[in-house]
Amino acid sequence: MSTATDTVVAPQRRDPDDINRANVPKIVIGLFGLILTAWALGNLFLAFGYYPQWFLDNKILIAALALIGGVGGAALLFWFLNMFIEGLPNRLSQGIMPYAFLLPGFGLIALMLIYPTIQTINYSFANANSTEYVGLANYKDIFGSKDFWNAILNNLLWLALVPAITVAIGIIVAVLADKLSAQGEKVSKSIIFLPMAISFVGASAIWNLVYAYSDKSQSQVGLLNAIVTKLGMDPKTWLQISDGKLNSLLMMVILIWLQVGFSMILLSSAIKGVPDDTLEAARIDGASELQIFFKVIIPQIRGTIVTVFITVVILVMKVFDIVYVLTNGRDNSDVIANLFFNEMFANSQAGRASAIVVVLLIAVLPILWYQVKTFREEQMNR
Amino acid sequence: MAQVHRRRQLVAMGGAILTTTLLSACLQNPNASDGGGAAGLNGYVDNTQKDGDKVVTILGAFGGDEKKAFEASLAEFEKSSGIDIQYTDDNNFTTIVKTRVTAGDAPDIALFPQPGGLIELAEAGKIQPIDSVLDYDTLATTLVPGFLESTRYKGRSYGAPMRMAVKSIVWYPKPAWTEAGGKTEFTSLQDLAKNTDAIKGKGTAPWCMGWGSDAATGWVGTDWIEEMVLRVSGPDVYDQWVSHKIPFNDPQILKAFAEFGKLAKGDGNVFGGAANIINTKFGDAMTPAFQDPPKCYLMRQGNFATGFLPKDVQADLDNKVGIFVFPPLDGGYGGQPILGGGDLAAQFNGNDPDTIEVMKFLTSDKFGGPWAKVGGWLSPHKTFDATNYPNELTKQMAEIVSSADVFRFDASDLMPKEVGSGTFWTEMVKWMNGASDEETATAIENSWPKS
Repeated sequence: MSTATDTVVAPQRRDPDDINRANVPKIVIGLFGLILTAWALGNLFLAFGYYPQWFLDNKILIAALALIGGVGGAALLFWFLNMFIEGLPNRLSQGIMPYAFLLPGFGLIALMLIYPTIQTINYSFANANSTEYVGLANYKDIFGSKDFWNAILNNLLWLALVPAITVAIGIIVAVLADKLSAQGEKVSKSIIFLPMAISFVGASAIWNLVYAYSDKSQSQVGLLNAIVTKLGMDPKTWLQISDGKLNSLLMMVILIWLQVGFSMILLSSAIKGVPDDTLEAARIDGASELQIFFKVIIPQIRGTIVTVFITVVILVMKVFDIVYVLTNGRDNSDVIANLFFNEMFANSQAGRASAIVVVLLIAVLPILWYQVKTFREEQMNR
Repeated sequence: MAQVHRRRQLVAMGGAILTTTLLSACLQNPNASDGGGAAGLNGYVDNTQKDGDKVVTILGAFGGDEKKAFEASLAEFEKSSGIDIQYTDDNNFTTIVKTRVTAGDAPDIALFPQPGGLIELAEAGKIQPIDSVLDYDTLATTLVPGFLESTRYKGRSYGAPMRMAVKSIVWYPKPAWTEAGGKTEFTSLQDLAKNTDAIKGKGTAPWCMGWGSDAATGWVGTDWIEEMVLRVSGPDVYDQWVSHKIPFNDPQILKAFAEFGKLAKGDGNVFGGAANIINTKFGDAMTPAFQDPPKCYLMRQGNFATGFLPKDVQADLDNKVGIFVFPPLDGGYGGQPILGGGDLAAQFNGNDPDTIEVMKFLTSDKFGGPWAKVGGWLSPHKTFDATNYPNELTKQMAEIVSSADVFRFDASDLMPKEVGSGTFWTEMVKWMNGASDEETATAIENSWPKS
């Protein structure tokens, strides 16, 4: 009896002990392999730059070697990393393993996202060349400038109008298209979705032709002015008219035109996902179509509406291309992103530009937070 | 205990391996410079390129057809001298040349489109002064006056031009303009105004103007003000204005605004008025002049404007378009000023005999024959053989250039970016839309970076 228990228990006792002990050769090979691979890779890539003659000055050869070296090297690095961690005592190894494999990804995010963010905040307190700290001078500058407040006002206007109108048109089109024949729905949706495929700059160039102005003695190139002159009025310089923010409104039309397709597609699929029995039940209870729409459909697609709305809100916060191409902020039509671009790249004022971006960042944060929150809630409700 | 000890040993060993590898065996840049070699009055600047190897590297901003024409202009020289000239173009030249020079990887010669970047590197002691390698006195007599001054730093010139562009040209539609009673030579702006007033009296606006240039709208207006400053107050005030020794809203500058206002804001003087000026692309400005009947006649624009004229006009330039120089102002600066630009060659390898040979050729009046024949190129030398130019129009431009009293670079290119490609543009648009001279000049003055 006793010998039997001994033989059964003994390996169990030995086993955890064995696993918990570090596997020294594995650690050494792993670590050494890691360093060697990193060193060899580093030198390979330096050699590409410094001694192209080693590779016969052949760019295709260098590119091929870079691909092999990059992909193969990364695989090798992971393999040695894995070996190194497996060699560690079991408890430690199991704790570290997921982090070790997350590390490169997280490192990249940190390098590409977090580091620039922190650096931008840092530079917003520095001078135009980011060589010396100037305290809050940049913030005082931008908050004291009329152009900045004008841009903020314009951004608020964009925010107030564009997302709401985009969602509203998106819902209307989605509902109406739902009532069409299958073929009609497909065609009408495709047409409305088409502008989504056009870049912002391309769309701005197209609409530039719509708003173009020529002297009244010339033939009108601009569509809008062609219509206006056909009606017997003088052509107008549409994008220069800032009364009632007309020029800003005309530019918003472009963004709405671009985004309605996106909004429609998401909302349409949400509407199609509304269970038929709820509609049936409402009809049996004698609800009108309007009541069904507002009291049955809308509450059930609320989540999608919020998602679309917030996506467009964030897009609007960043709106730049349209304004840059059409007016570059002239005639009181500037927005924050364009103001930033001009401070940074036209005026080389890195400090003030960073300060503007930080203000933009702070303004976007609550919206992002709200989006993440609603997304989580929705996930929980599912 | 023993285990902990071993782990420590392991860590120490790993750390040692890591540091030694990192410190010892990484490749070093074989071309790295050994710090900044100062180029004072004695000695020379040097780059890391091999000297005397019959290879000269040139970095410039222009590519495409211009690059081809440039290389064609060098072909014969390469054959006779046995020097292989390798030209690289980079459309981000301004940044690239600075990075390469400070990193110790300077080309033998760089061709700067503006003097700003050149002066900056001359200050850093990276450029060979031209008087030590070129025949300065000959250059000074054959070049259009003003070029060598533009590259001057602490009394020495650091670059010499190999190409020029001229902006002070007035274009007119040949048959229509004479038919309307337009003269083709003017002694002064007043003389010109008398002629244009007579044409205005017949019911057609004399001037065509287009300032539209998408995000850069307004630059045409800055050229006009620069022309006027040169004519009202002369090159000395112009230089002070550019370097901000006098404020932007100085009375002398305001006088230039007023002079331009008479021309541009005069009722019926410019086709279509402010709305049309701002909404017409600069390239389309002169299109109404070729309509029948013409809606306007004159356009002041640089020599590059030929490329933007209607296709049928381009096909028959000499018979359809004429030019005259934008005349000086009576009671202003006495001489004939010319506004324009140019490519300035600067040398980074002071002790390479091949580079010196190439510099000598590039900046001489012998350079550019093949390029001139292709068109779109003007020699900065008064003594350049004008028979090389492809048409009467270009010969006339060369004539305008060589009879000029003083040449100045485009001021907006020389001013700080905030002003030169920022507020100067935008405020000119506001000025055209009705802002007063004082408002405009003061707004630009207030935007001048404080340092």
